[in-house]
Amino acid sequence: MQTITLKLKDAAMSGIAQVPVEVDALTPDKLFGKSEAELKAVKVWWGNKQEAAGDLFDVSVAGDAGSGDEVKIVFEGDLTRVKRIGDGMKSGEIEARGDVDMHCGAMMEGGKIVVKGNANCWAGREMRGGELVIEGDAEDNLCAMYRGEDKGMTGGKVMVNGNAGECVGQYMAGGEILIKGNVDRLAGLSMSGGKITIGGDAELFGPDMIGGEIVVKGKVLEMMPSFRPDGTESIEGVEYKKYLGDLAMGEKKAKGTLYAR
Amino acid sequence: MADELLIRNGVVYDPINGVKGEKKDICIRDGKVVDSVTNPKVIDAEGRVVMPGGVDIHSHIAGGKVNAGRIMRPEDERKGVEPKTKVCRAQSGYSVPNTFATGYRYARMGYTFVMEAAMPPLAARHTHEEMVDIPILDNAAMPLIDNNWMTMEYVKSGDTDLLAAYIAWMMKATKGYAVKVVNPGGTEAWGWGKNCNLNDTVPYFDVTPAEIIKGLAEANEKFEMPHSIHVHGNMLGHPGNYEMTKDTYDVVKGIKPYRDRPTMHATHTQFHSYGGTTWGNFESKADAIADYINENDHMSIDLGSVILGDTTTMTADGPMEYSLYQITGRKWTNHDVELETGTGITPFLYSGKVSVHTIQWAIGQELALLVKDPWKVALTTDHPNAGPFIGYPIIISHLMSKKRRDESAEAMHKAIFDRAALPSIDREYDLNEIAIITRGMTAKTLGLHEHGKGHLGVGADADVAIYDMSPEERDAGKIQKAFLNTKYTIKGGQIVVKDGEVVATPPGRTIFVTPECDDKLTDEMLVTLKDKFAKYYSVTFNNYPVQDAYLPNPYEIKAPWRSS
Repeated sequence: MQTITLKLKDAAMSGIAQVPVEVDALTPDKLFGKSEAELKAVKVWWGNKQEAAGDLFDVSVAGDAGSGDEVKIVFEGDLTRVKRIGDGMKSGEIEARGDVDMHCGAMMEGGKIVVKGNANCWAGREMRGGELVIEGDAEDNLCAMYRGEDKGMTGGKVMVNGNAGECVGQYMAGGEILIKGNVDRLAGLSMSGGKITIGGDAELFGPDMIGGEIVVKGKVLEMMPSFRPDGTESIEGVEYKKYLGDLAMGEKKAKGTLYAR
Repeated sequence: MADELLIRNGVVYDPINGVKGEKKDICIRDGKVVDSVTNPKVIDAEGRVVMPGGVDIHSHIAGGKVNAGRIMRPEDERKGVEPKTKVCRAQSGYSVPNTFATGYRYARMGYTFVMEAAMPPLAARHTHEEMVDIPILDNAAMPLIDNNWMTMEYVKSGDTDLLAAYIAWMMKATKGYAVKVVNPGGTEAWGWGKNCNLNDTVPYFDVTPAEIIKGLAEANEKFEMPHSIHVHGNMLGHPGNYEMTKDTYDVVKGIKPYRDRPTMHATHTQFHSYGGTTWGNFESKADAIADYINENDHMSIDLGSVILGDTTTMTADGPMEYSLYQITGRKWTNHDVELETGTGITPFLYSGKVSVHTIQWAIGQELALLVKDPWKVALTTDHPNAGPFIGYPIIISHLMSKKRRDESAEAMHKAIFDRAALPSIDREYDLNEIAIITRGMTAKTLGLHEHGKGHLGVGADADVAIYDMSPEERDAGKIQKAFLNTKYTIKGGQIVVKDGEVVATPPGRTIFVTPECDDKLTDEMLVTLKDKFAKYYSVTFNNYPVQDAYLPNPYEIKAPWRSS
């Protein structure tokens, strides 16, 4: 097992502009097999310039790895302007110690990311596989598609211990999302597959849904008017009302399922 | 000191000057091809293929609907993202690339002129602003004049001279190049929720598409216009439309062009060569269309050949885009341009696993291979409608290699063997023919060969493409690679691409045509036109024309009134 610790230098965030750092080049599979010197030389976007990772981060490496699966990257320091953590990662583990900026775990294919804080928008965007754990809150568009695309998350598993913003799992086609807290409006918008479980409250979830399922364990603040009640079902010993829709998409296409108490 | 360049040891294909693969030096001074040079910078082409800069006759690269396509498809902008370099600005997009990428990618394929295929007159300013923003390429744009209320009223009353006066005013007002026709009458009928066949009556205006086409062709030939009318006919993309396509060609038969050029250019003919009655029995009728073109000399065509994959369709043919949306269910938009025209946009995926798409893919290439005289055919994909222009090298490699075509057909839907002719065609294009359909024919059909485009004779613009291949190359993959990224592209005597990389980005010129019309005729036409502006337009007559400031590098072609 190898642990690569990348601590963002204070100098990187000392400017008034707080120019963001994009770290999609720093994933376990991409860094596997690199010496410390090679690792420090990897180019990372800092605003509109590419800088060496070693100039932006204090780098320390401990242990050895036989494959990308055995590499763990730990991000430390002020990560609120560090974007694309674990973007496209295929294997290994990333731990982010603090609040992270947008696109954490976007396009992720495998491995595991743990965020020990809050995640900004687009976490798990278009995720295909692997596991993303956010110990704090997630902002809007968790596991959604990016603008214009017609597929969001297609695989993998995401867990949020806190609350999540609007449009969780927009255009989601597969995979699983578990949110322990509340979600803002439009969870599962245009969803076609996969499962979203919401531990807390939700409102107007499932619009334009044509497949997949959403379970709301807390209060339903406002229900979509275009779903048809379809009896009740017991989940983990608790009785839920079942709904089918979204009928606004036409009777034939309305294959989404909602469960609410 | 004069700026001189000498290209040595190239194998030159310059079809307009009858040069078919000769070892020949090209001398360049101050942006023009000359007889000899004294103290030049030398490029040793080392036996590579040398051609004039490419001339694209039909491509949607600038203007309102192209930009609407970009706005509508941020997912397309994600593809082809390249950061800025010391020379290039940031690039994005695949089927609707940004303006910079459009210029760089065309230049890397050896193209130096592109015709924007459809300019809504009311959006002419926007079109020119984007064309100015496209680096390297010289360009021009064709204003849409067919679904226009003025046009239809003059066609109805039979006042061809007044229609000509209106065309002249419109060319000047929009800084346009040629008369563009798109689903004549049909786009206007779409305002009533209808569409038009060739001989249907357009609601309210009481004229037929055939009459509109004939009227515009006659009016166009009143001037010494460099290009014929440029026609996207009725019922594009509908099964069984090939008969109507031939009937459309017949409409202008007998109208005499002012010089040795066709009377009508029929664009993206692939979309108009369909047999069958439904998508279920859809089949290629490219052979029937090719027969017509072979037997008649008043027509030229471009292919509109399909590139497999995702693209963004966009046209002034609003009802067609709506039909396409009904098939795919994907996002779409329609737009009405006041008294003039309309627009529609929707994304589309051409899949080699779908029978219809496979047959469409075959038709474009069949047309190129079945029309005997390459001087009647231009290579296009109707960018981005049948696929993005960046796919041209794929088509070139297929036209040049039967083996390549067979390999592709094997991997596609088997319908290609029953309902298309492509697998049974043995013809292979040679490099001279490729040069014809990508620069010689297109420059000549547009009349640009008289203005230095599409050839390398003395006095021509020093626009040169040097492809990194020997003329003996037969490997389709290598041919495709060579045509995607030139060894050198030279634009106006300046090296703009070297080893496939853009190294300089000089601004291009905008070429426009000024038809010269009798003042009395113009005044008579203006009485009607000013009334239209006062009653219906959202802009005033005086604010309508594109000011000269919109064309920082203008090139004017005068088109005098014909005396006879």
